[in-house]
Amino acid sequence: MIAVLAGILLAPLLPGTIQTGKAFAQGRRGTSPIQPYRTLKRLWGKSAVDPEGTGVVYRAAPAVAAAALLAALGTLATGGDALALVGLLALARGAVAAAAWDTGNGFALMGAARDLALAVFAEALLVLALLLIAQPAHSTDLDAMRAATAGWEIWSEPSHWCALLAFALVIVAETGRQPVDNPDTHLELTMIHEGPLLEYAGRDLAYLHWVAAARHWLILTLAALLYLPHADSVATLVVALPVLCVALAAVETAQAKMRILRVPALLGLGALIALAGAAAWPA
Amino acid sequence: MLAGAGALIVALGGATAVWRLRLGLGVQAVGMAVLGAAGVIVVVGGDAVGAAWRAGVSPALGLDGLSGFFLALLAVTAVPALIYARDYLRSGVVGALLAAFLLALSGLLAARDVSTFLVFWELMTVAPAAAILVARPDAVGRSSVFAYVAITHLGGAGVWIALLLGPGSAVAAVAALVGFGTKAGLVPLHSWLPRAHPVAPAPFSALMSGLMVKVALYGLIRFALPGPAWLGFVLLGVGVASALGGALWALVQHDLKRLLAYSTIENVGVIVAALGASVLIADPRWSALAFAAALLHTANHAVFKALLFLGAGAIERATGTLSLDRLGGIARTMPWTGAAMAVGCAAIAGLPPLNGFASEWLALRALAELALEGGVAHAAAGAAALAGIAATAALALLCFVMVAGRVLLGAPRGAGAGGDGAAASGGATMGGHAATAGGVAASRGAAAPGDAPGGMRAALLFLAALCVALGVAPGLLLPRLAELAPVPVHVPTALGLDLPGAGSLPLPALALALVVATALLIRAGGSRRAAPAPTWVCGQPVTPALGWTAAGFTKPLRLIVEVVLRPRRTLALDADGALRYTRVVGSPAGRLLYRPAVRGALRGAAVARRLQTGNVRTYAAYLLALVLGLLALVQTGALG
Repeated sequence: MIAVLAGILLAPLLPGTIQTGKAFAQGRRGTSPIQPYRTLKRLWGKSAVDPEGTGVVYRAAPAVAAAALLAALGTLATGGDALALVGLLALARGAVAAAAWDTGNGFALMGAARDLALAVFAEALLVLALLLIAQPAHSTDLDAMRAATAGWEIWSEPSHWCALLAFALVIVAETGRQPVDNPDTHLELTMIHEGPLLEYAGRDLAYLHWVAAARHWLILTLAALLYLPHADSVATLVVALPVLCVALAAVETAQAKMRILRVPALLGLGALIALAGAAAWPA
Repeated sequence: MLAGAGALIVALGGATAVWRLRLGLGVQAVGMAVLGAAGVIVVVGGDAVGAAWRAGVSPALGLDGLSGFFLALLAVTAVPALIYARDYLRSGVVGALLAAFLLALSGLLAARDVSTFLVFWELMTVAPAAAILVARPDAVGRSSVFAYVAITHLGGAGVWIALLLGPGSAVAAVAALVGFGTKAGLVPLHSWLPRAHPVAPAPFSALMSGLMVKVALYGLIRFALPGPAWLGFVLLGVGVASALGGALWALVQHDLKRLLAYSTIENVGVIVAALGASVLIADPRWSALAFAAALLHTANHAVFKALLFLGAGAIERATGTLSLDRLGGIARTMPWTGAAMAVGCAAIAGLPPLNGFASEWLALRALAELALEGGVAHAAAGAAALAGIAATAALALLCFVMVAGRVLLGAPRGAGAGGDGAAASGGATMGGHAATAGGVAASRGAAAPGDAPGGMRAALLFLAALCVALGVAPGLLLPRLAELAPVPVHVPTALGLDLPGAGSLPLPALALALVVATALLIRAGGSRRAAPAPTWVCGQPVTPALGWTAAGFTKPLRLIVEVVLRPRRTLALDADGALRYTRVVGSPAGRLLYRPAVRGALRGAAVARRLQTGNVRTYAAYLLALVLGLLALVQTGALG
């Protein structure tokens, strides 16, 4: 329960920290890490807007997406099944894409179409990365996986390094960061995750902003507790999450956004690395 | 008893008067419900009734757990389909054929000897063919039926070989794979399926996609499993290829029922991949659970595919079209049908907390177990299959978000919305181009239809409720299914999927959490304001022509996988000076298998025709040569 609450409350800090780190690396003054909270507070004070012709799907989608992420955080906190997370992320994605169809907005549909198309590759990669990290425990139970991947002897296995590389690509794909997506622009040539948000306002938009932040929390927590060296959960998170945020900021600064149609090649490369890792398992 | 009931059903169903048709369909529904109850009793009780399977030809009937499960599944889809048919069917002949089809399906499941099985097998092939010819007496119907009968009969030879040889040998296993695989729509023997399923009347489509392909899988399970390891690898490969191929080709369809038919290939692929995993996994517990995953997905697919096909029939009846580019706003004009279809779309896309998620999770978990089991071959094959099935699930999400968005959501679209004049000729237009250049004036746009009549609505809602029930509590079914595996195992009964010592998925808790959280978040959403304007489209007036088409939504993915799809695009000038853009996506199976086969057959026929000169003297010479040859053989003693 405390873990879920921490996820709900602290998630917006992650994108905020990344933005601050990015601004620092680029020599700008930038915003404070708590800027996302200010945005959420501002949005919370405004009423949601229903464009003409939209229906119940448009209205329910932000709540459904947020509920899916809440359930995912709950699964993570209770040590549930890792593969269930894939379905919950898909539910959030599907709800937002269906809402894009409900508005009929071209930009929203453009973003949703790209998101779902890239998800084909991202989901395969995510499942493979989870499979690799499930091998030491021989289980997809998150608690068992965490226990089995603790300690240093696992780092002598080549397959664990493959898992780490594959999950690094999962991180950029699932959090919508460069080089896969650029959360800072609303340029229709490049946008993916921002597209379906355009019609939303008020608390609906606040939910969707929180969903994006919760994706960061979920994926980076998985990275910290399964893939990186870890011991005690709380201490690991306190150290690893800021480090991961700084790393993402560094990648965003150094790496330009990729052409959208090139992204599957990148994710496919990750899948090949993961398959090589599976083939390299100790017999 | 079974045959007598069937004959009665056929006799009643054959009546032409509407009330007699309805009475006949009602009697059929009751009969199917009774048969389904028998199946449930056999599955739950665990005891086989009637004869055991024998290799002989003397007729024998009986039920065991496996056929009982499929019979119960038949009833679960057939009863709603029949109730639906009461309001849908107008032709007594089609009603009678429906009865014959159901008789064939149930007879096949109850058959306990070779001859009975083969008789019902052929009847099962012929009945839908006849129904298509009655319902669609045009060139499209005839060519679909020809492809269907030709391919399933050629493949069906495999069924005969497999049954007459009996299980055990490699030849029989390959023959069973080809024979039953053709009927199940496995790649590359699938190409009849997307032609035949969409043109049949809706109750037939639902039963063909929901049950007939599953009955073929029943045959495969019965006559090819448990098999050697190579069979497991073949099943895994063919399953993943079917899943990915079916999902990809579903995306490029423009006709709702055709899309659903391709998605059937995809789901059969998932089932067969799970069966392959069950063959390969050495641990008996996980082998049985993989088998149970296959059967659970079989049941789930039967439910949601029947729902979607019946819903598509209701939409076609109301709007006069199945073209994705002309439909729209069904959720508003037909709220009940729309809601049921929305549940079906979410279920088939594998979204929690519906049934597609439960069985896909179990299938993924089984494939992960295959990979984790050890050994390089199993690890690589399991991991690759796992990635393939995960990608398939994401493709299904893309596909059915598109279907739900295009067909159910938004405003009702008229004929001008995106236009698809070329779709009828096998091509497909790209939204904007056709709307401006083609200027298609379709006569049958999606006018404001009313919701489906009571019987059809009841059938759809029942199946939608079943999607929810099977999604929340699949654990009630799982122990029964695990006991049907070649090596049965005991799984404790629970509501969610609780796997002994191997993790679990508490589906009821997950569903409850999702529903409660969504409700609370909507409540917390506060006041809403209706905007006085429609969505922003850069200041232009909003017209239906600006709406996105199905082709537009799948464009990013189609560009990514263009190298696989290999579309042929043409830009032509019409006689009236309008530009027309068409895009046709061929099939690699057609290019690599069917076309060479047809070419070879025609070349062989040309060679054979040289013998046929039409000259009497030549034929006399043939006879003489034959007689001389036989005499020579007798002389040498070769003919005794």
